[in-house]
Parts: sequence; structure tokens; C-alpha cells
Amino acid sequence: MLVQAVQALATGLLTGTVYALLGAGFSLIWGVAHVINIAHPALAVGAAYAAYALAMRGVDPLVSLAVVVPLFFVLGVVLYEGVVRPAARRSGDLVLVSMVLTFGLAAALENALAAVWGPGPRVINVAYTGQAVRLGLLALPVPHLAGAGLAAVTIAALYLFLHETLPGKAVRAVWQNREGAALCGVNLRQVTGLTYGLAVASAGVAGVALALIYSFSPASHLTWLVFVFLVVIVGGVGSLVGAMVAGVLVGALTHLTTLVLPFAWTPFLLFASLGLLLLWRPTGLLRR
Amino acid sequence: MSRAAAAGVAVVLLLLPWAGTGEYPLALLSSVFMYSTLAVAWNVIGGFAGYLSFGHAAFFGLGGYTTGFLLVRGGLSPFLTAPLGGVVAAVFAALAGYPCLRLRGPYFAVVTMILGLAVRAVILNLPWTGAAEGLWMTLPPWEPLSARRAFYYAMLVVALCTVLAVRAVRLGKSGVGLEALREDEDAAQSIGVPAVRLKLGALILSAGLTGLAGGVYAYDRSYIHPDFMFDLHLSVLAVLMALLGGRQSWAGPILGAVVVRLVDEVLTVRVGTEAARIIFGLGLALVIVLLPEGLLPHLLRLRRGAPRPPAAVPAAVVRS
Amino acid sequence: MLRIEGVSKRFGGLVVLRSVSFQVSQGAIVGLIGPNGSGKTTMFNVITGFHRPDAGEVVFMGRRLVGLAPFEIARAGIARTFQLVRPFAGLTTADNVAAALLYGRGLRDVREARAEAGHWLRYVGLEAALDTPVGALTLGGKKRLELARALATGPRLLLLDEVFAGLNPAESAGAVALVRRIRDELGVTVLLVEHVMRIVMGLCDHVVVLGSGQVIAQGPPSAIAADPQVRRLYLGEDHRAAG
Repeated sequence: MLVQAVQALATGLLTGTVYALLGAGFSLIWGVAHVINIAHPALAVGAAYAAYALAMRGVDPLVSLAVVVPLFFVLGVVLYEGVVRPAARRSGDLVLVSMVLTFGLAAALENALAAVWGPGPRVINVAYTGQAVRLGLLALPVPHLAGAGLAAVTIAALYLFLHETLPGKAVRAVWQNREGAALCGVNLRQVTGLTYGLAVASAGVAGVALALIYSFSPASHLTWLVFVFLVVIVGGVGSLVGAMVAGVLVGALTHLTTLVLPFAWTPFLLFASLGLLLLWRPTGLLRR
Repeated sequence: MSRAAAAGVAVVLLLLPWAGTGEYPLALLSSVFMYSTLAVAWNVIGGFAGYLSFGHAAFFGLGGYTTGFLLVRGGLSPFLTAPLGGVVAAVFAALAGYPCLRLRGPYFAVVTMILGLAVRAVILNLPWTGAAEGLWMTLPPWEPLSARRAFYYAMLVVALCTVLAVRAVRLGKSGVGLEALREDEDAAQSIGVPAVRLKLGALILSAGLTGLAGGVYAYDRSYIHPDFMFDLHLSVLAVLMALLGGRQSWAGPILGAVVVRLVDEVLTVRVGTEAARIIFGLGLALVIVLLPEGLLPHLLRLRRGAPRPPAAVPAAVVRS
Repeated sequence: MLRIEGVSKRFGGLVVLRSVSFQVSQGAIVGLIGPNGSGKTTMFNVITGFHRPDAGEVVFMGRRLVGLAPFEIARAGIARTFQLVRPFAGLTTADNVAAALLYGRGLRDVREARAEAGHWLRYVGLEAALDTPVGALTLGGKKRLELARALATGPRLLLLDEVFAGLNPAESAGAVALVRRIRDELGVTVLLVEHVMRIVMGLCDHVVVLGSGQVIAQGPPSAIAADPQVRRLYLGEDHRAAG
């Protein structure tokens, strides 16, 4: 029993790292642009399908990132300039508009994917699918390790960017106080556009990572959305470290509960915890 | 709309089922009545009170599953039990809504979205109501046209009740209170507005009317499944219709519902469901960008020949 | 009419109010003054129920207020204005006041409330602004609107939070006269927080001075002006009083 628990914990930590990445990107957009990007996990699903398409041609998902990352970065900037910014300038209620707007984008994307690949689930098979690294009594699946490793590297890169580079510091400044940053001469449009690009690119990476671990279908974005909300609410909208800790916590919790409850009830447990958490501490478990 | 025109429309709507048009127009209008109900009901909490619920499908589905359960287990006709569906939804709103209403702004929106997804997940696993197989609500052996007529009138009654109730709220004391609450909850409290009571009441009314519609719809559809009874798409649609039509008035959402439903119908017939949703999603984005206040205020202004107000609030200067 | 007894309030590690006690007599105009950060607005928030004190009691006309919801305190007869004006921007000026009549005074009919709203708007001098959208009002206009809204609830006690800030001399004089009228004609007791000393000294019957969350001095304006502790609080240790 203990071995199973530790195994579940270990697997949970790995998948949690990917949730953390997905949550981090979402958090970035919420914190910097004040947009609740419902389409964030949908974009990740898009990246998963892109990796799938390339995998069908023999390209390993990790290699496909060379295409996915720049593509999604540009996509992010385009989304900001073409959709979000015009909407933000014209409406007074950004919360409402951004949620409806990004939901529309998510729905469009979901249906586009379904139109091309059908609604059924897909799996990516690579050379190392089914292989596992043995650590004593534990078995860590290689795809999980790959996905988690990918996510961890990306989060680290994001962290370094935000803390060690000047543009990154500008992003953090806007994250903390939009008006204040503007008064200090920060170009809000450029910084927000950059943030969007980074966030969507990170969603792309997260999508590839998730594709390595799970099966996915066009509708998966809704399931992943719950994880995103969980990570962001637990970790707080203000912090990358918070997202990391929260993601790992959520991953661990999800896998541990499958030991006790039938798998079907896991979503309910997650929702219940999230709901209760939001009521107790809307700004997150972890202070900035 | 002038009284004569309104009366004319009313007469047409009442007599249409006997005009020999066949089932399709009646089904379409039934759908329009239902969507109008959804939008108008949503607006009480989302527009008047300013608390954006992204989980209204939960109330809709609960209403439907209530009538479904009572039909399958108790043999009771949903035409009788639909109000009970509304009550179940209202009770749920009171219990789940009370803690949710302590959150504001984006957190409320997010938590209600999660609520909608959660209720779906729970019902999907509940054995007593068919779980993942869904629930069959077989109709008695009626003539298709007669059945269609019955549902048409049922939905019309639901829509009418909803509109009258919401209109009464909007034009009465609660309307002013909810608006004050929406503008500045603390300042409203300082002049004696009982914030918690008022917004909870708004949510309960909104949920109850939505549940009522769900109760009738379930029977019309004759087969219910969590995937479409608790669909997030439906929740967002409610928001969208009110947003599109104009959230300030009781009538705006009706316009939004009519437009949305008819556009959806045309698109689906022409290009199929998936393509329709894609175009829909994108068109949605466009409309929101161009008409942030909604259609109705825009149309009213056009009619009056008034100039367009300046875009958004000064904070927009810094926002972009 | 209003008794503050040993009210203390802290936010995290910061103690904002330290066992504050004072009274407001019926029919008086009382000033609450003190440097920034001395706890004045927090005191208002405690009285009106937006903050719960850690210790102490607020007694209004014999009734204990601590623990009551803000709307209950409003209905009990205490109205307030805000330091940063907070009118209902999306409502018409009439509806701003009508809301107060409906919920603060308990009127039932909306039409009746809108009609009476006009009376209150006229009382504060906003008769010209009946149809003006709230956003188009000047700061002075918005302050008057907030005042009309507060008065419409039919209060016995009115709390004014820096209502004179940002007004030019003409507007100030008008506001002072209005406050006097409110006390003299409507019989409303006034407790005001203010920084403009000239106004405090001229308008108030009684002054309470807060410093670092404690009551430093209280008494009639002349006594306060002469009090060495008050001088030290405002002018610092090294200054000698001019006379």
C-alpha cells in the first residue's frame, strides 16, 4: 500500500509539473493583461495535435518543439494585437468580455480540431513509450519524465527571464502594478504583447508535454481548464513559484485520490476542493 | 415597441401553431422562447447585479434532471413537475450560491464556471439518473404535431412568466437596489441596501427560472445527458445573449437570444454544427469588440439619432 | 448620542486604533482631526460596520452597533460620505438618491422615491443637475450628490469624511453653510473628519484629536488650538508656538 502511495505521489509530481507550466502561462496572462484566457488549455490541445501530426511523420514531440514554440509565440502576439487589445480598449468590463471572447476562441479551436481529426481520443507513441526508469520499487515512465522535464526546463527558463532580464523585469513590474509601471515609462503594449507571446508559447510546450503523458481529444481542454484553475487559485495569480508549488500539489493530490476513490469521482473531489479553497482564500493559498 | 405592435406579435405567437406551418417553425420558435428565458433569467444576476455567472447550465440541467427523475421513477408528467425543477435549481442556487456570492469579479465568474463543470461531473457519475448513459424521457403516444404544439405553448408560458417576473424586478425597488449594488456594493450597503439578501435573491430567482426552462426542455428533447444538459457552451451562451442584447434592461437579452438562436440555426443548417460553432466563436469575438454595450442600446440610440458615447472609461488609456 | 468606548483595531501587525473613547452629543457638530494615518477613516469604518473592532464598543442612541451589518447600521440612522467620492456612476443622479430613499428610509414605491429624490437634490443645490449623468458632475457636484444620498436615508447622525477636500473657497463656504443647515434645519448630528483647520475651527462645537490611533486631546476648538500636545503633533518637537 505504501509503495502504491509513493508511486502515485511520484507520478503525481511529474504530471503536476506540467500542470504547473500550464497554470503559469494562464497566470501570466491574467496577472499582466487582466484577461482570463479560457482558451489557454485549448491552445495547449492545439499544440498536442500539432505534435501528433508531426509524430505521424516520424518527428519526435521534443523535436517538434522547434516548430511549436516560435509558432505559438507569434500566435500569442497575434491574439493579443488582433483580438484582445481591440476588445480591451472598447469595453469597460474586461473580465466579462475576455471570458466570453476567449471561450469563443476555445470553442472555435475545439471544433476546428474535431473537424480535422474527429472527436475521438489520440495518443502519441514514441520510441520510449512504455519504457520506465526503475528507482528501487518505483517505476517512472519515461514519457512522464520527458514531459515533466520539458515543463520544468520551461518554467525555469521563464523564471530566469522574469528575474534576470530587463524585459522580464518589465513584465513583472506590469504584473504587480500596471499603472505604476506605465508611469515609470514601461511600454505597456510591447510588454503585454511579449507576455502573451511567452504565455501562449508556454501553453504550446505544456500541450506537447501533456501529449506525451495523456491521451487527448478536442474536448480535453475543458478537463485541463479545471487543472489550470486549480493551479492558479491555489498558487495565486501573482507568482510563478506559486504556480509551481500548486501544480505539484495538485498533481500529487489527483493521483493520490485515485488510490482511494474510483477514478470517475476524481473530478468531483478536485472541484470540491477548488470550490472550498476559493471561498476560504480567493487570492490563493500561497502569499506572493 | 408600440402597444399595437406588441399586441400584434402576441396574437401571431398565440395562433401560429394552428396556422398550418408544420413542425419546424414551431420547434424553432420554441427554441427561441427557451433561449430568451435563459438570457433574461441570467441577466437578473449577471446584468442587474453584475455578478457574472458562467455556470448557469448547472441550474438548467438540474431542472431537466428533476423532471426526468420524477417522470422515470414516479410517472409524473414534466408539464406538471417543471416548476419543481425550478425549485430544485433555486434551492441549489441558495446553498451553493451563498458561499460563491462572497467572491467578486473574476473569482465569482471562475467559481461559477467550475460549479457548472462540477455538477456535470457529479451527475455523470450518479447511477440514479442514468449516469453516462443518459436518461430517456419517453413521450406518450401523441401525434407529432400535437406534441410540438404542446411544447410550443409550454415554452411560451415559461418565457412569458420569466419576462414578466424579471420586468417586475427591473422596474421595481429591487431593480434600483441591484443596480446600486452592482455599481458599488460597499456604498450601497452604507445607504441601507442589504447586499447579501438582495444578490442571493437575484441568484435564486435567476436559477429557478432557468431550472423551469430546463424542466420543460428535457421532455421536449426526450433524452437527456449531462454532456448537453450541463454544457459549458450553454452557460456561455446565456452570458453572450445578454451581453449581445444589452444587460441594462429586461428586454435586451430577448433581442440577444433571438439573434443568437437564428444565426446559430442558419449557420448549422448551411455549414453543419462544427463549422457553425467555429464561425460562431469567431463572430462572437468580433461583435464583442465592436459593440461592447450590446445591440439594444445601440439600436435605441440609432433610433433616437443620439451620438455614440465616448469609448469606455478613462482607465482605458492605461489599460492597453 | 454616539459613544465610542475603548475601540481598538489592528490590521495584521499595525495597530490603527488604540482604546479610543469619545462622545458625540446630540445636535453637535464634532470634528475628528489628526495627521494622516492616525486612524480617522478607520474609526468611521468601525462605526459604520465595515470593520469589526478587536475591542471596545460603539453605542448609538443606546444601541450597540458592533457586529451589525453595514446596512443595518445605515437603517439605524447613521449615514456617511466617503473620502474618495463614490456615487453610483451608472445610475442617474435621481436614482442615486432614490436608492437611498428606498433602502435607507424604507420607501416602497420607485416613482415616489424618484419624485422625492428631486427634493433632496434641490436641498443640496443640485437642482440643475437632475438629468445630468453622474460622470459629468464636477467633484463638488459629486460630493453634493453623495450628501443628498446620505441625507435621503433620514439619518440622525451624519459622518462626513473629508468632504471639504478639493473644494475651492467659494465651494467651501457653500459647503460649510450647507452643513450648518443640515444640523440646524434637519436636526442631524454631524461628525466630520477634516484636514482643513480653518473649517474645523470655525464649524465645530467640539473637536477630538487623534494621534497614532489614540485620543490626544478633545474639547472646544479654542482649547484644542492652544493645546501644546496638539501643536507638537502637527508642528513637531522643534517648533516654538508663535504665540
